[in-house]
Amino acid sequence: MIKQYVETFINFKEEIFIAFYETLDMIFTAMIISLIIGLFLGFILFITRSDGIYRNNKIYFIVSSLINITRSIPFILFIIVMIPFNRLILGTGFGVHASKIPLSLIGISIFARFTEQDLLDVNKNIYETSYALGANTIQYFIHFLLREARSGLILSFTSTIISLLSYSTVMGIIGGGGLGYLAISEGYYNFNYKLMWIIIILMILLVQIIQAGGNLIAKISDKR
Amino acid sequence: MIRLENVSKKFEINGKENTVIKDINLSIYKREIFGLVGETGSGKSTILRLMNGFIKPDDGNIYLMGEKLNRKTRHQLVKDTSMIFQGFNLLSNLNVIDNVLLPTKIRKGSKKENINRAKELLSFVGLEDFHQSTIRTLSGGQKQRVAIARTLITNPKIIFCDEPTSALDDKMSFEILRLLKDINEKFGTTIVIVSHDISVIKALCNRVAIIENGRIEDIISLKTKEIKPVSYKEALLGDD
Repeated sequence: MIKQYVETFINFKEEIFIAFYETLDMIFTAMIISLIIGLFLGFILFITRSDGIYRNNKIYFIVSSLINITRSIPFILFIIVMIPFNRLILGTGFGVHASKIPLSLIGISIFARFTEQDLLDVNKNIYETSYALGANTIQYFIHFLLREARSGLILSFTSTIISLLSYSTVMGIIGGGGLGYLAISEGYYNFNYKLMWIIIILMILLVQIIQAGGNLIAKISDKR
Repeated sequence: MIRLENVSKKFEINGKENTVIKDINLSIYKREIFGLVGETGSGKSTILRLMNGFIKPDDGNIYLMGEKLNRKTRHQLVKDTSMIFQGFNLLSNLNVIDNVLLPTKIRKGSKKENINRAKELLSFVGLEDFHQSTIRTLSGGQKQRVAIARTLITNPKIIFCDEPTSALDDKMSFEILRLLKDINEKFGTTIVIVSHDISVIKALCNRVAIIENGRIEDIISLKTKEIKPVSYKEALLGDD
């Protein structure tokens, strides 16, 4: 039985590698964008909350609502809704590159909300400490808040990457390809269940590696 | 060094505006150790936060080192001051020396010189063997020593202390008070200390303002005594 799985893997080796590369390509871009913009928006949410240092109900409501809307639309419909936007930005609504846009937006939304929650866990007195030691708001964020919240943020970012991996499996709908698309199109629809299971196992391994890596980095960085 | 002119502050508590600081006038001089004493909720910690610009007054003016404290000047002026907190407020994700170096990250200066200075200060506060220790492994007194070293690394002209010993036992409190006195004598630093503990104020301060319901009731000059450790036995027998 294992021999049959090995044979299937060898037969589809090239397709699996291409799909794996497509998955990594989509996730890597979305990951970087989610990290930068998600972190920034999470900080905006944190400081504009009703108990934040720059309380601003309007900004909080707008950013929070945009994040909620992005997260509440079923992702497969979100991909379709975003086609005109992809076209506007990239000139095409389909393909691996176009897939990176909805994937990045969902990643930003997830990570921004995680960031807000992680920053809320930091001792509130740290802001006063940063002020008393001469820091401005940006220095407070970089030298105080990020350092205290870093292990939580690393775990949150790990979860965001895993979510992106999961979301990337349906990007085939706009020609994004990737491992999920190969499992469905070649595996499920073509009754090649062995290929489907090989890809499922590959995905499980990938998630395990990402989570273990995230846990390790978070543990090393956590001195509390 | 610090001057408060007709300073008032209101806070909204349960939807009602309460004037917590009422028309305060106060001058604190260079190299002085000045105490603010009063009951919990009297407004002494608010006065301290008004002095370093963390809280903006509703009325009146505050001058730090001759310059008026306002939105534009406060970040620059506060860089010449520092603060010690009741709860130490160290960054638990950084080790001891990185906590001490934290204020230097937001100022210009040579990294190597800063590290040497941090090591010197850790020796000064008696923590020369704890450079790489994590904060969670330290006792309360050691944490406050790290906070004091962090305070000193920028050579502040004024140190604000908010109940610096109230989380510590008597022996640790004595050590911290002696350290503050040494800092005042060695570096000529002006120290403003808030405490509800009369013995702390008596041991350390040249002058004391008694705060009651947001007002200065009186300002008293004190002859400070030599700070001596007191054992539990001495303290108990001394009361008789």
